Amino acid sequence: MSEEAHPPISVLPSALAETQGDGPFVAIVRSRQELCRWLNNPLPGLRWLQVEGMLGDEEAWTEAAHSNSNVPLDVVLSDPALEFSHLYRLVDAYAVRAIRVTMPAAPGLTKAIRLAAALRLPVRVLPGQPSFAALEELQEALQFYLHEPTVDAPVEFFHSVLATMCDSEAGSLWTILEKDPDVFRHYDADGRIRVPRTSDPDQSEITSAGFVENHLSHLIAQGAECATCPWQRPCSGYFKWPDPAYSCEGVKRLFLTIQTAGNEIRQDVASFAAADEGALSEPRQATR
Amino acid sequence: MSERVFSVILLPTSDCNVACDYCFEHKEPHRLSLVLVPLLTRRLLDHLENEHIEECEIYWQGGEVMIMGPAWFEKAAEIMDRAAAERGRRFVHYLQTNLIGYSPAWNGVIRGMFNGSLGTSMDYPNIHRKLFKGGATAYTELWSRKLHEAKAAGIAVGVIAVLHKGSLEVGPEKFYRYFTEELGLSDFQVNTPFPGGPAKEVEGGVQLDSSELAEFMVGLFDIWMAEGYSSGVSVGPFNALVDHFTGEQARLPCIWKENCSNQFISVDAKGTVAQCDCWVTSYPEYFFGNMFQEPDLTGMLKTSRARREFVERPKRLVEDDDCLSCRYLSICHGGCPVRTYSALGTMMAKDPYCEVYKAVFACAEAHAGEVLRARAAPIISLRERHKAADPCVVN
Repeated sequence: MSEEAHPPISVLPSALAETQGDGPFVAIVRSRQELCRWLNNPLPGLRWLQVEGMLGDEEAWTEAAHSNSNVPLDVVLSDPALEFSHLYRLVDAYAVRAIRVTMPAAPGLTKAIRLAAALRLPVRVLPGQPSFAALEELQEALQFYLHEPTVDAPVEFFHSVLATMCDSEAGSLWTILEKDPDVFRHYDADGRIRVPRTSDPDQSEITSAGFVENHLSHLIAQGAECATCPWQRPCSGYFKWPDPAYSCEGVKRLFLTIQTAGNEIRQDVASFAAADEGALSEPRQATR
Repeated sequence: MSERVFSVILLPTSDCNVACDYCFEHKEPHRLSLVLVPLLTRRLLDHLENEHIEECEIYWQGGEVMIMGPAWFEKAAEIMDRAAAERGRRFVHYLQTNLIGYSPAWNGVIRGMFNGSLGTSMDYPNIHRKLFKGGATAYTELWSRKLHEAKAAGIAVGVIAVLHKGSLEVGPEKFYRYFTEELGLSDFQVNTPFPGGPAKEVEGGVQLDSSELAEFMVGLFDIWMAEGYSSGVSVGPFNALVDHFTGEQARLPCIWKENCSNQFISVDAKGTVAQCDCWVTSYPEYFFGNMFQEPDLTGMLKTSRARREFVERPKRLVEDDDCLSCRYLSICHGGCPVRTYSALGTMMAKDPYCEVYKAVFACAEAHAGEVLRARAAPIISLRERHKAADPCVVN
């Protein structure tokens, strides 16, 4: 598909977003004023609002529950351990608009995912290059997502990676987590494109077209473990950025857990399909 | 316009025509004057406009609402519904009555204002619901007669039963048969009791032993699933729980809402606003304000210090109590604040019936699993027959 058909979505601070035309964009809002501005008078290209540092602002969520527009919200928790219980503040707003919560793989992640699941809020976990402690949290959260029957809203990236392992095409982690610069172009406050997953301005055109493909090719050429990694396709070197020396031992365990669950689902689906086929062939047997 | 619905439990009087001995309400003779109905309506409509809410459910109860008389309701509905229509809003009215004052004179207003249905209450065995003269036996006889008259007039009647020690003693089977066979009901609900009144002053016989209550509830659930579920009998809250666990849209009772403070208030005849009827009739320390004295209901709810505790409660429970690790958090959220407060003297704790709820949720989950398996049974059955007919399929 051509880039013209799907221009990248710009992710940019609220003030810069004012200058957007009809092109698709996500506005980052950090104050009640900014939130209300976009809720009350959204521009045509606005896809959703990325709401940062405002979960504690109860008044903001009252406004979000009352506004007439249906602009979706992506509510970012920077410290899940401290902020998780504030998710209750989203209940009213969630009754009138789509809301997703985004959080880093950090202490308190599982608590936040548990409560988000209880409130049926979709979640996006940004794993970064997880530390040992973060990997422990991710593994616990993954077990909860995979095996707790009351979970019915997706928890990304687990959800889409699981879909990939069940033969659905969900793209790589870069796309799933909205970090592929070909699809999501992130800007800093000065309007400069940011190097993916850093706050650095892109001064040497790192994010030129085909960034993910180039990054993976480069890793393989450098002899990184990606070359022989069974999860090369869904990962595409996500965990080797920005530090290519990051050891993927821990994240491979995560992928293995998801792969195992995916295999079980595929077996169940195959078994059900066989049963269905048998059921469908039953009338023919009856007429023999 | 938001699809949210706001509910008001409206008590046009706290006065009552019976003498139930576990009632926690202060039976004041005060009645809501029709002169005040336009003001009450305006305050509610202002709030709906502020909140961008189109529909408001009004649950009329008391005291005993039928004391007000059918003509009063006809006039009140006319005032409220006309004012709502003028502002592009809608009131939907529900009636909760003890039925003792019911007569055919009510049929017109029940059909017109309440969509031909009403809710009432009866326990089994009835020990606590009493007439001023004649006690519980006379109450049961009179209530049963009124029930049959209302049903004969084509009115759909739902019954709430509050469990007590006597219910646990007779057991779930007798209890179920009383409502379904003796009264011929196809819709009733069981409520867990709570003492009401001053916090911590738990009256004897009202607060039940959790394990006994859980056993009763699970037994009743099993009987209903075996006999009533497939034949159109609705028993709340079990039916909503089965809906939930089978993936259907479920309307769970208020005690298990994410946060009841967002969804309803109660207003009494004097304009007092509190969280629900239990609070407005029992706990002045938790009044939010007065609708007839304060012009802005939205502002009152926003700034009320008493209401803050309700808003903060679910948050506090996942921080401080063990609710977050409970697999049923999504359908309970710590349970009912008033049940907690009346038993413990604080609402910042989980519902004292936690273990009962967990037993009921587990029971619902198991039954829902059976329902889903039964729905899949035709496919499984065909598969088995296919295997049996095909010698190449090894079992």
